[in-house]
Amino acid sequence: MFRIDADRARFREIVRGRIRSDLSKYLSTPELIARQGEHAVSVPVPQIELPQFCFGANEKGGVGQGPGERGEEFEGEGDGQEGTGAAGEGDGQHILEVDVELDELAEMLGRELALPRIEPRGKRQLVSDSARYSDISNSGPDSLRHFRRSYRQALRRTIAAGEWDPAAPRVAPIREDFRYRARRIVPAPESSAVVIHMMDVSGSMGREQKEIVRIEAFWIDTWLRSQYENLEVVYIVHDASAKVVDHDSFFHLRESGGTKISSAYELCLQLIREKHRPEDWNIYPFHYSDGDNWSARDTEKCITLLRQEILPCVNQFCYGQVKSAYGSGQFKKDLDGALGSDERVVTSSVAERGDIHNAIRAFLGKGR
Amino acid sequence: MQPARRSRSPLSAELAHWAERIEAVARSYGLSFHPVEFELLDARAVNGLAAYGGFPVRYPSWRFGMEFERLEKGYQWGLSKIYELVINNDPVVAYLVRSNSLPEQKLVMAHVFGHADFFRNNCWFASTERRMLDAMAQHATLVRRRIDSQGLDTVERFLDLALSLENLIDPYLPLRRKLASGAQVAGAPAPAAGDGPTFDVLGFLCERAPLAEWQREILTLVRDEAYYFQPQRMTKIMNEGWASYWHSRILTGGVLDGSEIVDFADCHSGATATAPGRLNPYKLGIELFRCAERRGEDLMRLRRVHDDASFVDELLDEEFVASQKMFLYARNPRSGKREVSERDAAKVKARLLADLSWGGLPRIELAGVDAGGALHLVHHHDGRDLQLAKARETLARVGGLWGGPAVLDTREDGVGRRLRWRAGELKVEDLDTPIAQSAS
Repeated sequence: MFRIDADRARFREIVRGRIRSDLSKYLSTPELIARQGEHAVSVPVPQIELPQFCFGANEKGGVGQGPGERGEEFEGEGDGQEGTGAAGEGDGQHILEVDVELDELAEMLGRELALPRIEPRGKRQLVSDSARYSDISNSGPDSLRHFRRSYRQALRRTIAAGEWDPAAPRVAPIREDFRYRARRIVPAPESSAVVIHMMDVSGSMGREQKEIVRIEAFWIDTWLRSQYENLEVVYIVHDASAKVVDHDSFFHLRESGGTKISSAYELCLQLIREKHRPEDWNIYPFHYSDGDNWSARDTEKCITLLRQEILPCVNQFCYGQVKSAYGSGQFKKDLDGALGSDERVVTSSVAERGDIHNAIRAFLGKGR
Repeated sequence: MQPARRSRSPLSAELAHWAERIEAVARSYGLSFHPVEFELLDARAVNGLAAYGGFPVRYPSWRFGMEFERLEKGYQWGLSKIYELVINNDPVVAYLVRSNSLPEQKLVMAHVFGHADFFRNNCWFASTERRMLDAMAQHATLVRRRIDSQGLDTVERFLDLALSLENLIDPYLPLRRKLASGAQVAGAPAPAAGDGPTFDVLGFLCERAPLAEWQREILTLVRDEAYYFQPQRMTKIMNEGWASYWHSRILTGGVLDGSEIVDFADCHSGATATAPGRLNPYKLGIELFRCAERRGEDLMRLRRVHDDASFVDELLDEEFVASQKMFLYARNPRSGKREVSERDAAKVKARLLADLSWGGLPRIELAGVDAGGALHLVHHHDGRDLQLAKARETLARVGGLWGGPAVLDTREDGVGRRLRWRAGELKVEDLDTPIAQSAS
């Protein structure tokens, strides 16, 4: 369509304005996360209504049609829909879903929190092959047959063979004449980043703590995805030992054992060495816990690992402490004490959802 | 002026053949209509047109975009699909969805000829603008020009203000004028002179509100379009019933071949399906016409002289309510669910008539301008309260357009209320003397 697209664009602009002004609300709820598709989130917004004189709340009834005794309940479509022709009946808010591209959401986030853009480090440019069907080949499947090129070839052969008769311009292609569309491989530079989310899933991390981590991780991923052409996300859970898990397990797994943070950092380091080499990747480890560790010795080990092995490889290391009923919060103090002056380290502490806002700003505010 | 686009996508030879055939059959039954032009479009294009009320060119507004968004989502999720779209114009323009099967296209075409006959012959449509395609395009040009000179935000804000009041017209005014003068004038009736009382609040504001010239133009076009759409609102049941009655008769009278009957029945029963909590105008309408036919009434006369309310009033009786299993429902205050509350024919009929009268909208009359310069509106209460929160907002917009204080008298839970808007502030007072309850 033509004009309607302009009107839709205007409507979406108005809706985006509303989402933008409500963004701090979305920053503290998981509302958008469940609605994430590959490239967009679908945001539920109330239909924008122009006020008009209409019938009010004492008018829920109407005329219906069908079987049923007096007093018999029925399910059905929402109130007032075509009810008995009374327009505007029923005051239920009509909800519309509007797709917002993840890039756009990131842009809103960036504006809301005044985030600087990230300069990808050094020569972190992967060259990847992207393929487009812009080539022609002598063989291929029928579905890719290029009619015009095939015809041209047949015509050319017919003329060359002296069989062309302008009075009866007939061209009969033979097998050799057929041409097919083919892939052409185009090298494309690409900047890549990997986010390594690590979380303590020992008993003291409860549902609410994990929910906070989930919201933080969503916004972090959204922002980083907008800054790099290619973003990979890896999840590590740990209690006394660590393992790599998928997205769902990450937020739902619950273990009961103790907490040995160094296990996660070791696994993180192993991943960096084996799969996400710093020459090719911008690396972002995030670690979330309630601040308890098994022993001071293990904390010591974590700090050594960070200082000597991890920090030299990564863009930034972030530690997000989520307050729980059991956590002492000691780990953040130890990190701050040992590495607080290192600009590659960011720590934050979240006591409730309202603080998520500040944690995200702290993590992403350096533009690293 | 932008010319309206037409017949950009003509029918295939096969569909064109059937259109001709069906038209001939329709005429042989005595239907008469302005020429009908079909266009074949894909679903997305039809959704776009539907968002514009069927017109290819409308003034720019986010509301059309919102409606398009809704229709597109409904289509993508498989919740809804538009079969046909027809506009009251000379020529009548109708759109067919490309993906429909041949029996569906036949049904839709026959249905369209039914609508076209109704548009031409029903008395409520007698004074509608028949060059509406052109008029809409002119409105669009006018609004675009004003956007160029005044800026998008300014014009959009004013348009939204005006659209809040689009229902404040007198649906009976065009017909009254025609009966009084005997002359037939196409388009919205000229606003009455004087201080009221009048239901044509929009007309009054066009004449009397202190507006800039461009604002008056926009308010006038909103009013013109409201008067154009009003008859469709008042004859939804009849119009759909009539079209369904004829698609059924035409198709089963030789237009379908044997292999298509089941597809047709499937499609027809889908369109006329009922659900407990809603009245399907296709179903109610076709049943009323069939009921009239069984009683030996003159269907052509009925379709000429009635609107939904008078049609229901004339035909709906105890037998009809029982055979159609009609009932009243109400929300059970404890369970919150809706339940059947009444099957008494007289009560069902009374409620249905109340819902249909005045196009299903509250009757709001302009009583006049009082000594303090306030625009005085009166809600003719028929037992149904207004939604007060919206009424307050709307009244503020009336005041905004009037450029002075505005008052609305209504009732809430049996008590008279006066809403008074003045200088950005809204107050609610109790009315000492309750307003007389008017019968609808």
